[in-house]
Formats: sequence, C-alpha cells, structure tokens
Amino acid sequence: MTLRRAFLRQGAAGLGMVALRSMLRAESKGVINPLHHPAKAKRVIFLYQAGGPSHLEIFDPKPKLASMHGKPMPDSFTKGQQIAQLQGKPLVCFGPQLPFQRYGKSGLEMSSLFPRMGALADQVCVIRSMWTEQINHDPAHTLMNTGSILPGRPSMGSWLLYGLGSMTEDLPGFVVLMSNGKGGQNQPIATRQWSAGILPSRFQGVKLNSTGDPVLYVETPRGISHSLQKDSIDTVNRLNRIRHKQVEDPEILTRISQYEMAFRMQTSVPDLVDMSKEPKSVLEAYGANPGDGSFASNCLLARRLAERGVRFIQLYHRDWDHHAAVKYGVEMKSQEVDKPTAALINDLKQRGMLDDTLVVWGGEFGRTPMSQGGDGRDHHIKGFSYMLAGGGVKPGVVYGSTDELGYGAEENPVSVHDFHATMLHLLGINHLRMTVKYQGLDVRLTGISGEVIEGILA
Amino acid sequence: MSDTCFRCHGPDASSRMAGLRLDLREEAISRKTQSGRLALVPGRPDESEIIVRVFSTSKARVMPPVAAHKDLTEKQKQTLRRWVLEGAKYEGHWAWQPVRKPPVPAGAGHPVDAFILDRLAREGLKPAPEADRRTLLRRVTLDLTGLPPTAEETAAFLNDKAPGAYERVVDRLIASPRYAEKQAMHWLDAARYADTVGYHGDNPFPAWPYRDYVLRAFRDNMPFDRFTREQLAGDLLPNPSREQLTASAFNRLTRMSAEGGIQPKEYLDKYGADRVRTVAGIWMGATLGCAECHDHKFDPIKSRDFYSMKAFFADVEEPGLAIDRGPEAWGAKLALPTPEQERRLAELDRRIEDARNALAPMPEDWPKKMAAEYTQLKHAWRFQQPVSARALNGAKLTIYGNVRMETTFESGGSLRTETNWATGMVVASGPNPDNETYEVMLAPGEGLWRSLGLETILDESLPMGRVARGGDKLSITAIEAELIEGGRRSPIAIKLAQSPPMTHYLPAMAVLDGDPKTGWGIAEYRDARNSLLALRFAEPVRTSRVSRILVRVRHDSETRRGTLGRFRLALSESALAAPLVARVSLKTLSTREPIPNKELMEELWYSTQAGYPQLAALEAERAILDHRVARVVITKAQEPPPIRVLARGNFLDESGEIVEPAIPAFLGGIETGGRRATRLDLAAWLTSKDNPLTARVQMNRFWRQFFGTGLSKTLDDFGAQGEWPTHPELLDWLAADFMSDWDMKRAIRQIVTSATYRQASYGNREAEERDPENRLLARQSRLRVDAEIVRDIALSVSGLLAEEFGGPSIRPVQPEGYLAALNFPKRDYSASHGKDLYRRGVYVHWQRTFLHPSLMTFDAPSREECTVNRVASNTPLQALVLLNDPIYVEAAQAFAARAIKQGGATADSRIAWAFEAATGRAPSGEEREELLGLHRRAAASLGGKPEAAMAIVTRALLNLSETITRN
Repeated sequence: MTLRRAFLRQGAAGLGMVALRSMLRAESKGVINPLHHPAKAKRVIFLYQAGGPSHLEIFDPKPKLASMHGKPMPDSFTKGQQIAQLQGKPLVCFGPQLPFQRYGKSGLEMSSLFPRMGALADQVCVIRSMWTEQINHDPAHTLMNTGSILPGRPSMGSWLLYGLGSMTEDLPGFVVLMSNGKGGQNQPIATRQWSAGILPSRFQGVKLNSTGDPVLYVETPRGISHSLQKDSIDTVNRLNRIRHKQVEDPEILTRISQYEMAFRMQTSVPDLVDMSKEPKSVLEAYGANPGDGSFASNCLLARRLAERGVRFIQLYHRDWDHHAAVKYGVEMKSQEVDKPTAALINDLKQRGMLDDTLVVWGGEFGRTPMSQGGDGRDHHIKGFSYMLAGGGVKPGVVYGSTDELGYGAEENPVSVHDFHATMLHLLGINHLRMTVKYQGLDVRLTGISGEVIEGILA
Repeated sequence: MSDTCFRCHGPDASSRMAGLRLDLREEAISRKTQSGRLALVPGRPDESEIIVRVFSTSKARVMPPVAAHKDLTEKQKQTLRRWVLEGAKYEGHWAWQPVRKPPVPAGAGHPVDAFILDRLAREGLKPAPEADRRTLLRRVTLDLTGLPPTAEETAAFLNDKAPGAYERVVDRLIASPRYAEKQAMHWLDAARYADTVGYHGDNPFPAWPYRDYVLRAFRDNMPFDRFTREQLAGDLLPNPSREQLTASAFNRLTRMSAEGGIQPKEYLDKYGADRVRTVAGIWMGATLGCAECHDHKFDPIKSRDFYSMKAFFADVEEPGLAIDRGPEAWGAKLALPTPEQERRLAELDRRIEDARNALAPMPEDWPKKMAAEYTQLKHAWRFQQPVSARALNGAKLTIYGNVRMETTFESGGSLRTETNWATGMVVASGPNPDNETYEVMLAPGEGLWRSLGLETILDESLPMGRVARGGDKLSITAIEAELIEGGRRSPIAIKLAQSPPMTHYLPAMAVLDGDPKTGWGIAEYRDARNSLLALRFAEPVRTSRVSRILVRVRHDSETRRGTLGRFRLALSESALAAPLVARVSLKTLSTREPIPNKELMEELWYSTQAGYPQLAALEAERAILDHRVARVVITKAQEPPPIRVLARGNFLDESGEIVEPAIPAFLGGIETGGRRATRLDLAAWLTSKDNPLTARVQMNRFWRQFFGTGLSKTLDDFGAQGEWPTHPELLDWLAADFMSDWDMKRAIRQIVTSATYRQASYGNREAEERDPENRLLARQSRLRVDAEIVRDIALSVSGLLAEEFGGPSIRPVQPEGYLAALNFPKRDYSASHGKDLYRRGVYVHWQRTFLHPSLMTFDAPSREECTVNRVASNTPLQALVLLNDPIYVEAAQAFAARAIKQGGATADSRIAWAFEAATGRAPSGEEREELLGLHRRAAASLGGKPEAAMAIVTRALLNLSETITRN
C-alpha cells in the first residue's frame, strides 16, 4: 500500500477527503484542460543529436554540391549571412562525403550508413527545410529547447508537463538522459536546457544518470535500511499532518504528497533502470549494454520511461560537432545511433505505442556545405534536417527542401517555432493559447511566431 | 486595457492595427474609425466605437478579436462602459508619476500599520493578533539573518519583559554580519552574480571580491544611492578606490562566451543587452528587454530607448569572444593583494632581479648551437619501460608496453583526436582517493643520468582536463627519486624542475619546494597537449645493469583526486634534455626535438649556471604567491564605440540610427549641457529625488522579503502590464521616506517593527478565506525559506555552521560526475576542506549552468539573468535532498550529538531540545510521542551507540515542513 493511499484512508485533518483527493489530482493535471483539440500523441521522445549533425551526410542528398566540390561557394548564397568558425576564411564547396540510397516504397533518399533508420522510410517523416537563428551551440540549444535565447524561459518538456500534466505518480514527468560519443566532440549542455524557467520547478526535467545515483539523491544513505527510511518518512508525514492540524497551511499537504512521491521514486527509479528482466533479444536489437550510459541503453530506457507514463523524454546524444573529419565522424555516429534509433521505433510500434508517441530525431543546427579545414563542416543555421515518427505524423513523407547546394531552406521552410507549434498541436495544444504571464508578456513556447506544419500531419 | 487592447492599439507602431492608439487619450478621442464613429467619445459610450465593438455579438466584429483569446468578462465590459460614461479620464501611469509622500492615515502609531489598517477597515477585516514570542523571534531572526535563533537568544527574548524587547532584538540582528549575508543573497540574485561565465564551457571567472563588496556595503549600511553609483560607475569616480573599482564588477557580471567560432559583435550585443535588462530590472522595474527587437507593446518604451540605455555602457571595455586563460583572461581585472602579499611580492621582485643580473646573458649563437645538438640527438630523452608501479592509497597502476593510444585535444575551438603509439605508459585505474602517491621502479641499465622526465598523457576518459582523475586541476606536489643498488637505497637530489612554456597552474619548481600544498599541474588547460616535465639531478647518477631507480610522484594538495591518470617516465644523459610540449608525443621515438622557442632556449642556457636553481625557486615562490592574490573583473572605460538601433535586434544590420546615451524618453532626460551622458549620470538620475521608480522598486523588493509578496507582486514590472500595488499610498510613503536618506537598515527596521509584520501567520480564518493570497495583510505569510537558508538552518541547528564573513567561494560536496556534461575544459570538481564545507549558502560556488543540485532543487536561480523574484516550489526532489544529500545526513548526525550533549539525560528531553532547536517551539505531547516512537524503532533497528538512533530523529526534524518554513 502506498503512503498516499494510507494517508487518504486516514484522511487529513481539517480537510475533507474529497477536497484532498482533488488537490492531489489537480497537481498531476495540466492547465490545458480540456485539450484544445483531440491529441494524436500523448508523449514525446526527443532523440536530440547535440553538436549539429550534418544534414548533407545523412538526410539531404546534394549531387550539385558534389559537382561543385572544391569550387568557391557562390557569393549569392553566403553574402551577409552569419558564419561561425569560417569567419574570414575562404568559402569552398565541399561535396557530400557519404553515399546515399533509396529506401522503402516511398523511395526516401538517405545515407547508406543509416540502413536501419532507412528501412523505416515508410514510417517516418523527414523534414529537409529546418532553419534556426543561433549559430553557436549554447544559444542554439537554448532556442531549440525553449523557443528563446534568454535564460529563464521554460523548456519544451516543462511546457508539456505544465500543459498536459503528468501520467505517472511514481516518476517525474520530464526526464533527460545524456550519452557521449566516441569521437570526443562532446559539447557542453547546460541544465538550462531542461529548466522550467519561469514555471514552477516541479515542471523541470529530471536528469537520469548512468553513473552514481540514477536520480540525484534518490538513494537512501548508507546504514539506513529501506524500512527505516520508510518509517522516517512516515513519521515526518505524520508530524507534518499534526502541524497541518495546528496551522491549516495547504502547503504542508503538498509537502506530504511530495514526500510520498519521493519515497515511491526511491523504488520506482531503481526498478526503471534495472534492465535485468529485458529479454536478450531486446538488448540485442538496441545494441544496449545496460549501465554503460550509451545512446543504445538510453533508447531502451526511453521506451521503459514511456511505458511508465513519462510525458517528455529527451535523450541528448553528443559528439556531432564535426568541424573536422566529417566523413569519419558521421560514420562513427552512424554506428552509435542507427541501430538504437530504429530499434526504439520498432519496439514502440510492436507495443502499440508508436501511434501515441511522437519520436523526434535532430539537433540544434546543421552543417555548412562549405568545407572547414578541408575535411570538416562548420555550424550552419539556414537549412538542416529533422526526422519525425509516430504520434500523428504522416509517414513516408519528405517535407520541404533546401536549395541545390543544401545551404538554405527553400521549399516550405520550418522554423524552430513552427516545429514547436506542430509538436504542441500533435499533443492537443494550440500553441497560441498556452501562455504564462511574465514581465507583462504572455510568454509562450513559440515566442511571437510559429505555424503548425499542416503538410506533415497524418 | 493594456492586457487586452494595447498589443494592437498601443505604443508599438509596427503591430498597430487600423492606425488606432488607445493608450493616448488625444489619439483615442480624435481618431475616426472605419465605421465613421470616433473610437472614444467621453460621456457617450454608445457613440464610442470601442464600446460598440466590445459589446458586439458578431464574431467578426467583437473586440478583442476572437483569435486573440483575450475575451472580456461581463464585469470588465461594464466597467469600461462606465468609465466612458464618466468621461474617459486618463491618468498617467502610477509608477511614472513623481513620488509624493502621502499623509499617514490616522489611527495607528506606526505609519506602515496606519496604511494597512486603513485598508483593512475599509475591507471590513480585522488584523491578526501579534504572533507568540517564539514564532516572532524565529521569524525576525530568519528574515533578517537567514539563521534560526539560538536557544540562548530565545531564552533572552522570552525573559526580556521590559518594553522595547522586540526592538532590541531587531537592532541586534541588523547589526550582525549575518544580516549582511542575508541581504547580499537577495542582491546577488538581482546583480546576476556568479562564479562562472554561463555560456558554453561555463568557465570560472574572478568575481567573488564583488560579492564581498556587497557584503560590506550591507554590513556598513552604505546608503543606497552610493551603492548604486559605485556599482554602475565606480570606475568613473575621481581617483576610484579599490572598493569602488571592485563595485564596478557589477557591469561585468554578464554571461560571457569563450566558445570558438562565435561572432564577437553578436556577443558584444548580447552582453550589452543584458546590462540594459539588469539595470531596468533592478532600478526601474521596467521590462526594457522587450524593446530590443521592437517598440514595447504596452509601455511607451521605444526600441530607440533600449539602445540609448545600452549606449550608457558602450564604454565598458570587454572582448566579445572572451579570453578564458592567461593573464588577459576575462578582460579588465583588478589585483587585490593584501599588504603582506604586496610587501612580499616587492621583495621577491627585488631578489629575482638581483639573481637574474648575476647570470651571464645568453650568447647569441646558443639557440642555433642547441638546435643543431638536438638534431644530433645529443640531449635525447630515453623513455623507460618500468619494471613495477604501485599506488600507496589504493589506486591501481598498470604498465603498458607498446600500445596504440588516442589523444583528444582542442584545436581552434573544436576537438581533434590523434592516434599514436606509446611505450612504457603507466595508467591509473580503480579506486580514486583524494590524495595518492605513485611509486614507479625503473631499470635503466648502464648509464650516467642527469635528468628525469615525467610526461603527462591526455586521455578522453580522464574527467579533469583529460589529464587528471578528478578535481579541478592536476596537482603534482612532489617528485622524488631514489637509486637502488642491491639492498642499498639512496635518495637522488633534484636541484631543478622545468616545465614547458605554456599555461600551467603553478611552476614546476612547486614539486621541489617541500610544501605539500603546492604543486605543478594543469588547470585552465585548454590547448591540451601532452607535456613533459624535466627534473635535473644535482649530481649525475651512474647506474649499472642491475641498478634500479625508484620514482615517487606525490599528490598531496587540497585538490581532491587531482592525480595523474596516464604518464611515462624518461631519463636523459643530458642536463639540457628539454621540457617538452607536444600535441603528438606518443611516438615510438624515444627522442624528440623541442619546439624552437626563445624563452625555452634562454631558460636552458641559464640552467647551465650555478645560480639558476635559486632564481627558479624565487620565481616559483613569486608565481605561487601571485596565484593566491585575489582578483576581480572590473569595468574599465574605453572610447565608446557607436551604438546603433538594431532593427529586430539583428546585429548584422548596420543601417540603424546611431544613438547617444539617454534614459527612456517618456521618463524625461538627463541634463548634461551637451556633454555625452555617462554611467555616472545614469546613476545620479536613478537616485535623484525626482526619479519616480528607483525607491518604489527597491522598497517593493524589501517588502517582498518580509511578507512574501511585494505590494505590487510584479517586482520587475512597474509598467502598464504590472500589477497595480495593493497599497499605493503605502508604497509611495515608503519610497518617499527611503529617498530622504537612502538608509537601507532604517528602511528595513521600519518594516519589521510594524505590528503588521508582527502578526500571527495563522488563525485568522476570515482573512484566510476572503484573502487567500494575503494581499491585504490581515495576517503574516508563511514562507518556505530560500535555498541557501534551507542549508543554513541545518548547519546552524547541527552546530556545524562555520560563521566567517567573506572570502573565496566554497564548494560543498556534490554528486560525483555532476559536471560531466561540461567541456572546454572537461572538468571535475574538488570539494572544499574543513570548515569551508560548512559555510553558509551565500558563499557557495555559483556554477551558472550546473548550480549545486541542492540549491537548484530549492529554487535558487542560475543567475544567468537578473532575478528579482524567486519562486518557492514544493517538489519530491526537495524531499530527496533533505533525506539523502550527504550534508543533511552529516548535519543530522552532528545535530544528534549536540542533542545528546545539551538536551539532558533522557531520549525524551533530548528530542524535546532538538525539536525546539529546529522549529523554535516546544513539541506537543503528540509530537513527542511520534518522535520517541521513531527513536525506539531506530534504536531497535540500528543498535549500537545512542547517536545513531538519535540521528534518525534529528534527520526527521530537518525534514519537517515547519523547519524550512518561517511563520
């Protein structure tokens, strides 16, 4: 019996059973209630490829760029545009470094190095016309996550939790995982990226760690048994209830329910990360070696989190910053991500969860069609690619395009705000109508723009 | 109307619809709309287009438009109608009207109470009675000092029956340095003070002396106008003192980026915009930040005003792409040596100069000669394959033969990896103690050796700078060698240590100075390279086929786990084998050519002379001392570059108008007689008697500290979208009074001595029901204490708290690997030692992108941005912190020991004592029973010493809602 139930049975002094129940429930309910329109997806798994994956080696074939290889990049593309590390350097076309091939009935053209993701061609949607505004990692991540570059804006996971509420009483509703790549290009990721910002901090993302405590401080101190921990928490809650009887402060009741949830987390988190009951076939499909902190293990954890009702699951996989040796780098990354990404989508599908899970694959920006140092690519914001699956997204579709050199989004450009608006739409939220007052503004995830991308809705 | 109408019919010309402005009466009453009606006809609502449209039942006609989702309630519509009927009077916005001291309502002795009671009487509410003495003492002590009262303080107050007892307590608290710590905490949020730069690598930067400036300012009750002036423009004052220059760090506390490949101009704009937002947030309660990209939607703030404000700070010298290492790091800085340090530095400089003068200068042909000799391998290193290696404190050392190793290093803003072959590499693994000593046995064979080399090898797996197994730097504190001949061991004297010329933490000689706290190593090691330290033997060492050389590498500094992860050892027959730095050092070659470097050649030349080791020792001492000198970033004025209005905030747009420094036009102007206005002028305007905002904004923030909510709850927005104050006359009275002397202690004392402040926080049922947010103040508020105070309470009641005022930031223990997501440099964390582990939250190292998790969980802001209003959330993660963070476990144990010592002889009396220490009141019978029960069960479960069971009880006490609540 959970502490909460015990508490409910005994009733809280000074507050009727009904009132207390509704208070506890209200906490897990979102503010968008009822939804603005029927939702297609209930949850999001965002496979965030941090560092800036090269669209030109993965999703966006550019034969013209190949034929221009080594020639100066035409001024008409680059004039007046932002540039990162190539500032003051000659801008030279750099042809695609990896072969592309057609996949599935839809004939999706994608890199040959991602055969398993390619095999899902008829189930996924590739957007080839993403663009962003920030050309350096830190602000670009912040924009992609919060729709703003000012620190203090809520991240998309926090918005979703705030809007839709949690579907679990045993785990946080917004969980972040992180994995490193073998290439060592592991750019920093700040806690700001999963911050609740101006929203109450119960909406912030909780990072799940692969070493040490899976959730910070989730483990009972050494020397204190599980039963003594439970006894301590029960006593604290009883004392808090006595205090509530004296002062009738509703915050105390919230505190009590939070201690109950904390105690449940002490069991549910170890259970979550214990993969010993996963069949070998599943581990093999993902390529997961539990506890290694790899992207593969995190993908499997993502499925387990989704099963347990977590609303927003964000996996950062780092090491995509291929200023140098982009060919070698993307090859290495393909070995890290192709199999687990495909395994996750297949696994969700098999379990009947893909229909209401939106899976997103992409990073903070793309990479230049120009070479950096002869074998790499610099940061690029005018055009890059995203892959989406499940959750009400039209499968087997390529949406939008970049120009012939893969520089700028040309047909159906998709901004960060458009992407956010679409994600919220799929979850039953009109992005214009989920706002929070702050410094006089009706702050929203999509800032002052954002259009739902109708063309990718199923 | 601001919220519902001004977005389209307000100050922002670019989003204005139908050319209609409703924020200006003149416009609204003169503008004909499409229907032919005037927008507003005073006294005639039915002829006014806005009323017609607001009441329209047509979805296409109704205002605000359906799509805006700003539907008006029936009551709002009627109010609007009545307002038009009554003549549609526009009054200037309250916050921008001059502050006039209103008359104090009659009927109460204390002005604060007079205003509050007046409103309560009008609302038909009665104030709560005064809180009981214990509650009152805990409340005022927590509010003024951030610490709970001690048992002695409680007894003294309870026994002080003479009139004025409470006021005496207030005076005692305000005079305490703890008061300054509490106030500083709030100010530092607003000033966005932190110890790291916030962007990208989030590197540490020298800022803590500014925190101490703020502490001293509050302790010494610096008037607020001077406090303002020194922070904004301390550097512009005539002959600025150290103190005033330190204050000017305020302008430099923006986030800074050292990310390779950033566009400096873009970041200069970001830093500049931050200053405008911060000044507007702290002093003006104005959301000027909105006007970076467009005219303000609700307030008459033009985009031009934003850039004119930014122009005040155009003279702040700073790099757009911040320099993160070396003497130039983070731009202008001030060194703050103590008088003793200053004296010693001067003395060392003299002695160093003498020692240098005694050396023969380098002959011109020396570098050429050496270069030739290096090519001929006359000074080669011979890398050794050790025969054994062990660590004394538990780590495991493994020796490798010829292996392929990858090295990752940074090059021009990105990371590169190279693969090479290495021989004789020693790798540490397994247990990772704070301090560790390695002993490596070499079997060099026959030879005559003059130098020992230690090469550090980088690896991606090493959490600190790819070189050390932890901590915030590598720190090798001593290197010793012994010659072993048969059973005989004799120490080998080392006279000189030389490191490659690059950014190192401390000089190589630190390994020979006999001080276990000082060491050679690598901290800000951005252009990471493998490097080889050269140690010169005092006498040549002859070895035979069977001789062994034992090399001992010690890591005994305060840096925890700053131990070498991978290394090789080499010997050389030459005393001129060069210390090396190499991106690629793992080559199979046992010899390498040094990088031709004049500085190195010169050093090698000098090292041939007898006086050189002494000079090197002096220089090392100087470097170590200099490293200990406190430094702080400061504002240095430069010739101000032109500031342009940037259309939509786009830094690439060079077409905007150039603006001069000016305050927002709607607030007037600064008279300078044609001279360019400066930051000093800005500070003077902010604190001038006719500034309508500063005093109101500051008093509102003070008010929040003592009641949980400001008189206007929008602390940083006094504009049209901000909340109208609940008690405008009171706010004006407080502001006018504050402006009379800008005396912060007096202003605070005034608030906390009011009867309003002293009310009970619960028990006033009618008030709770009618005013659940407690805006009318018919009772006190119940507040969860701020993050730092949660920590401080536990430390204080447990007796662990180290009360020391000021000093470098401290690092509490934090979970291992917490900084693993950082890079540039890759780093770990080294917790402080001794009493520094138990200092107050205000002194905690503020890592902007990875704030200490316990503070973050209790809503401490990252301070990436000016924050004037913290939230107080209530989450399960907070429960996990209080239950399981080791500092709270340790506090519970110390608290238990204290209870046993001071709480009498029985479990019952000890529990009562501890309960009172934690909550400020005696436990009820029921509460006592609960705790006794827990104590009994814990004792049965744990057995052993009484401390163990009592620690379970005290841990429960630290987790009580009441313990972290001020009532």
